[in-house]
Amino acid sequence: MRNFQQNLAKLEAADTQVLGVSMDNPFANKVFADQNGVTFPLLSDIGGKVIRQYGIYKEYDQFHTKIPAARRATYLIDTNGKVVEMQVDADAVDPTKTVRACERRKLTR
Amino acid sequence: MRKMSITLMLACFLLTGVASTQTESAPPATEVKIGDIAPDFTLVDQNGKPRSLHDYKGKKNVVLAFYVWAFSSD
Repeated sequence: MRNFQQNLAKLEAADTQVLGVSMDNPFANKVFADQNGVTFPLLSDIGGKVIRQYGIYKEYDQFHTKIPAARRATYLIDTNGKVVEMQVDADAVDPTKTVRACERRKLTR
Repeated sequence: MRKMSITLMLACFLLTGVASTQTESAPPATEVKIGDIAPDFTLVDQNGKPRSLHDYKGKKNVVLAFYVWAFSSD
């Protein structure tokens, strides 16, 4: 999420709202946001309803236990509510592509 | 005969169980694709404020950044 925070000024300049989503509770997200200087909303999808709806629910093997969470994924949604760009897993970590796509959309308006 | 049909039923039952477990553990495909309307939602942010995807419709582009868990490295 720090990658998105670092690019937040560029994204906001391109009329883009960033929303982080995970299965963490709001208290964990609050601490996470404060410790990392994250100023955009981090949303709690406890139970993973939205994450399942987007089809990116995954169980991770950690300490011999299966922990449910989201896969790393970035969706760019335009002002009509349509998905115009998406990256999943390792591709979703670097926001450069998303930032460029937002800037292009700004220019074409 | 009766015993055999019970065994058969049990086998069918077990096989169905195995089949459904396999579908669950298959690599998950993403449901939402480019060109789709993004499913709407309302979720609470880190300050307890509810946020809906439709709040931004007609106003802003939205970057939905799903992350694995808080305190993950990136």
